[in-house]
Formats: sequence, C-alpha cells, structure tokens
Amino acid sequence: MRLSEVEVVSARNLKDALSILHDRLDGIKLIAGGTDAIIQAKDGSLQTRQLLDISSLPELRYIRREGSVIHIGALSTYSDITESPMLNSSCRMLVEASRMIGSLQIQNRATIGGNLGNASPAGDTIPPLYALDANVKVQNHERSRLVPLEKFFLGYRKIDLQPDEIITEISFEAVEKPYDGTFLKLGLREGHFISLVSLAIRVKWESEGDKFSDVSVALGAVAPVVFRARKCEEYLKNRTLADDTIWNAGKIASEESSPISDLRASANYRRAVIPSLLYKAVDTLIDSRRRSQEP
Amino acid sequence: MERQFSFKLNGRQVSVSAPPAYTLLEILREKLDVTGPKEDCGKGECGACTVLMNGSPVLSCLVLISQAEGAEIVTSEGFMRDGSPDRVQKAFIENEAVQCGHCIPGFIVSTEALLSRNPNPSVEEIKTALAGNLCRCTGYASIIRAVQKAAEKN
Repeated sequence: MRLSEVEVVSARNLKDALSILHDRLDGIKLIAGGTDAIIQAKDGSLQTRQLLDISSLPELRYIRREGSVIHIGALSTYSDITESPMLNSSCRMLVEASRMIGSLQIQNRATIGGNLGNASPAGDTIPPLYALDANVKVQNHERSRLVPLEKFFLGYRKIDLQPDEIITEISFEAVEKPYDGTFLKLGLREGHFISLVSLAIRVKWESEGDKFSDVSVALGAVAPVVFRARKCEEYLKNRTLADDTIWNAGKIASEESSPISDLRASANYRRAVIPSLLYKAVDTLIDSRRRSQEP
Repeated sequence: MERQFSFKLNGRQVSVSAPPAYTLLEILREKLDVTGPKEDCGKGECGACTVLMNGSPVLSCLVLISQAEGAEIVTSEGFMRDGSPDRVQKAFIENEAVQCGHCIPGFIVSTEALLSRNPNPSVEEIKTALAGNLCRCTGYASIIRAVQKAAEKN
C-alpha cells in the first residue's frame, strides 16, 4: 500500500490516543516524529492501512528531574535533549548520542520514544539508556507499567509493547560525580550516518587512582539487540586503568559481540574496532576527570 | 479519503484538501505550487526539502500533511522581502554559492534558521547547522563563505 493511501488518525491527547488504540486493534501503527516510520511506509517495510499520529500529544513532551531521577517524556525530540541545560550537566552521554543522530532537521522531529519503539539495533539512544539502567514506562487505556530497558528489548526489532500500549516515559539516575559517562559511534562520515558500531559507558570513579568501582558498557549495532558487555564490565571493575588493561577489556567486549556483515561494514571490521572505541571512550573519561581535578 | 488541512504558509493562512498521509512536501509542490523545497532522496538524507516548521528546520518529505495541521511553515520563498532576495539569499548569489541551484532552497532555510538563533556562528557551527544539507556540486566552501558574509550583515 502506498503511503498516500494510508489513513491517518490524529490523537489530540494521550487519553484520546489510548482509547483509539483500545477500540481499534486492527493493525493500526503508531507514528511520532515519523523520521523512521515515514521512510518505512514509503519503502513498504511498514505495512499498515492506518497510522495513529501521536506526534503532538502535549503530555509526553517534557524533561524533568525529581530528586536524583531524570524523567524524559517519550515525545521529547533529540533537539529537546541536546538543548536541555539539565541533561547537558547531568547526563552528557545521552546528549552526545542525540547530537549524533541524523541532521538537525531530523533531531527537530525524531523522538526518544520513537527510537525505542523502532527498536533498530543501531538506534543511538539505546546504548546510553542501557548503560544508564533506564526504565521504560508504557501505558494502555487502564494501567501503566515500568519495564527495565534491557527487558523491554526481546530480540531483533522486537519489544515488550502490546498493541494497545504507548511508550510514555524513560527514566534513569542522573550521572554526577563520582559518576561519569560518554557515548561514541563510528560511521562512514561525520554526522548524519547510521552507526557501524556504537558504545556507551557509565562509570563510577574510585576516590583514589585511575579505577572504576562500577562500570556499565553497552554496545550498539554489533548484535541483533543492543547489549551490555558484562564480562568486559567485570574485567574493568576495580582494576587500575593501564593501557593494556583497557585494550584487554576491549578485546573481551569484542568477543561478547555477534555482529553481522552488511552493506555498511563486515562483521570482522565491526569486531576489530570495538577495542579502539572502548579505548577512546575510557581515555575521554580519564581526560575529563583530570581536567575536573585541576585547581 | 481527502480531508481539509489548514496551516500558515509563508505568512498567509492556507487551506488544502488532501489525503492525510500526503507529505507536506507533496502538498507544497503539487497542491500549492511552492516549488522551493525539492524532493531528491525522499528519505531524510539530502535536506533539499528543508522548511521551517514552527521556527525549526525540518524535512518536509518526512512530515505528513496531517502533522502540519495548524503549524507555521516557511519555505525559501518566505524569506523574500517585497519580491527581492533578503540578505541571506543575496549573500548566496554574491558569493557564487549557487552552482546547479537544486539544493540551495534547503541551504537557505537552514542558514536562516541558524542565523536567527546564532547571529555570529563560527565555521564549525555553520558546518554543524548545514550538515543535513547536501550539495552534489560540492560547492561547500563558497556556501560557508556566503553564510559568513550574511552573518556580517547582521
């Protein structure tokens, strides 16, 4: 079916959207910013006769902090994220990831909830949210539930979302001293590319020495689903960050991955660059810690 | 099934009847004869269809007309002053930033959006703001120069 023949139902508010989903479960698909959905509808990979447009639900576009927890409404755009002073100071890894997604034009439309709902293994907000141990809130017309992000992704492009549910919020702990984190991705050109490999890391620094007392490493685009490199994390924990320690940790992360070859890169190439990406990320964290300690 | 959609286009209120999943770009070009925005890739990679939507640059090939209901849309044509090019458009002409010209309306819109928020951008800031616009004649150096000149006139 051509995109122009698809029926579009526009929801005015969340309650409206949830009751439409409840009433018509006949294959209606959600569309938010549309930067993936419209392309998929054009090329035929999104098969649907009906789209429920939730792009302008006022209730789901917010970024706020309650205590140490940051809450992001699912319809917040990447521009909302990159322009948020609070996220720039309390979660730069998510800001870094959002800034590298598509172009400014894409960032002005695309939403964080859409990135999760689209569930691409190369979705760039997913590794930071994995490393942050984020929770996803989903809602239907009568109840809401909170799902740890890692449980939300069930397999390649498969998520734990019922046909009558909408992703409404993402929440996680703020990243502040002694915590830090960063996001890196590798692609074919700077800006505006789909990740070949992406990596997010969140660490807790030991008070003395170059050591992490806690560390989370998430890798994107090198497995059917974004995943946490737990053996790599275990290896890095409480170990002095000498050069060969970081390289070894990278090799372990590489062994944990299961990339495929596609038109963007071969599996071998993807596996080979993971240690470099991890090295660069840890180096960035060491650097920013040194700078913050300078008098 | 056609529905009626109203939005503001280049300062005036317009109303069109169209199927709700037509893209904003199709409506602009085919129903409203506003041909500044172009369709090249149709999938969000080239920026030739860039328009302002409520003040922010977006890709009109990736916005459904039903999503533009009530919005304020500005195309490259909307920056003309009494039928004459404005300072950004003049700077593109004077600095020979236009080769085949196909991508230029998109570049104009991205530049206007940049300068309205940041009147004195650095070269790096210009490159970031224009990263979503491709010029297949690869005239980037003169485009960046044109943006700098337009900024000087602020």
